[in-house]
Amino acid sequence: MRAKRRYILARILPYGVAVDQRQAYFSVIEAATSLLGDAAVGLAQPAVVFCEGGYIVVRCRRGTEKDIATALATITTIADERAALRTVATSGTIHALRRRMRPIRPLSEAGEAQVGETYFTVYRYPRQKVDLVEKGIKHQKSLFFTEADLEER
Amino acid sequence: MKITDASVYPYPAGDSTLARMALEAAELGFDSIVAVGEIRSQPSGIKILRGAVINAASHKEVIKRVRDPAVRRADVVFVNAGDISFNRAVVSVNEVNVVRNIHAARRNAFDHVAARTAADRGVAVDISLAPIIQFRGTKRQKALQRYADILSLQRRYGFPLTISSDARSIMEQRSVREVRSLCALFGMTGVEVSDALASVGRLTEPELPVKVVA
Repeated sequence: MRAKRRYILARILPYGVAVDQRQAYFSVIEAATSLLGDAAVGLAQPAVVFCEGGYIVVRCRRGTEKDIATALATITTIADERAALRTVATSGTIHALRRRMRPIRPLSEAGEAQVGETYFTVYRYPRQKVDLVEKGIKHQKSLFFTEADLEER
Repeated sequence: MKITDASVYPYPAGDSTLARMALEAAELGFDSIVAVGEIRSQPSGIKILRGAVINAASHKEVIKRVRDPAVRRADVVFVNAGDISFNRAVVSVNEVNVVRNIHAARRNAFDHVAARTAADRGVAVDISLAPIIQFRGTKRQKALQRYADILSLQRRYGFPLTISSDARSIMEQRSVREVRSLCALFGMTGVEVSDALASVGRLTEPELPVKVVA
């Protein structure tokens, strides 16, 4: 008999980070296995079914969704980049979760700012949030400001 | 009842400014946070309390440090836990509000004597979520074990508990719902978590007996 499933919707932090579904799956499995153990994760059968637009949907067996959501809260990196998952909702269908997804896109074109000696690309988001990403190719430092903080500098 | 994250470390200690952390905390269901470090402005939205952390080797050093102007300005004074005699002594210092870093202390470093004194004097013990989120393997197991020990002492003696994310970034902040599920890992019930999240409010504004003025 086919087991009942639950789907967990989580938002990916920081905003604008492109996460590969496969890498996200590895992070979910690592976090769940280290927190709950192989046996519990084997029974929960977690899988990443969707990873796009700043959101991730994790599938698991019904009854294990609380444990998996707890494990998602312990994720600190995805593909060696700092990241976090914030659980938004749990549902029995992906369709219901899609209604909860609100795309998070930068408000305007990226600007530039200097903090200390370092140059950052500025991304503005709703609610006066400003993310500064160090200019570079890999493992860039990020700073999280607000519009007011940026104006004060 | 205020729901407080008992300690965050904003920029420059971390990578997120106080205003941004306050914004995120409000979205995550908190209505106040304790910020450790320099607070230059009071962002609107949620209440920001000033916190000071004392890391001392001896009880005498703690007494000396609580007289520092920076510590005296603080709304909440934290002291890092040490060995058994240090912890027993530090909970009886008037200015100390919270004993933190208990996961890093030795087993039984916070014993029944310290617990009874903490309960009498209203000194809280901090449960930091950082070791549960960031550590893996034996380190995390040890932290969960310490927290379970503290919880059993708290149930017996009734001293306050506080819960902190110890976040240095918005990525380390967790929602109230996530705090509940992480605390359930060492046996804390939903009611106990709610109580612990409201403890900072009770520490900073203690309930005093009603005075008849006329």
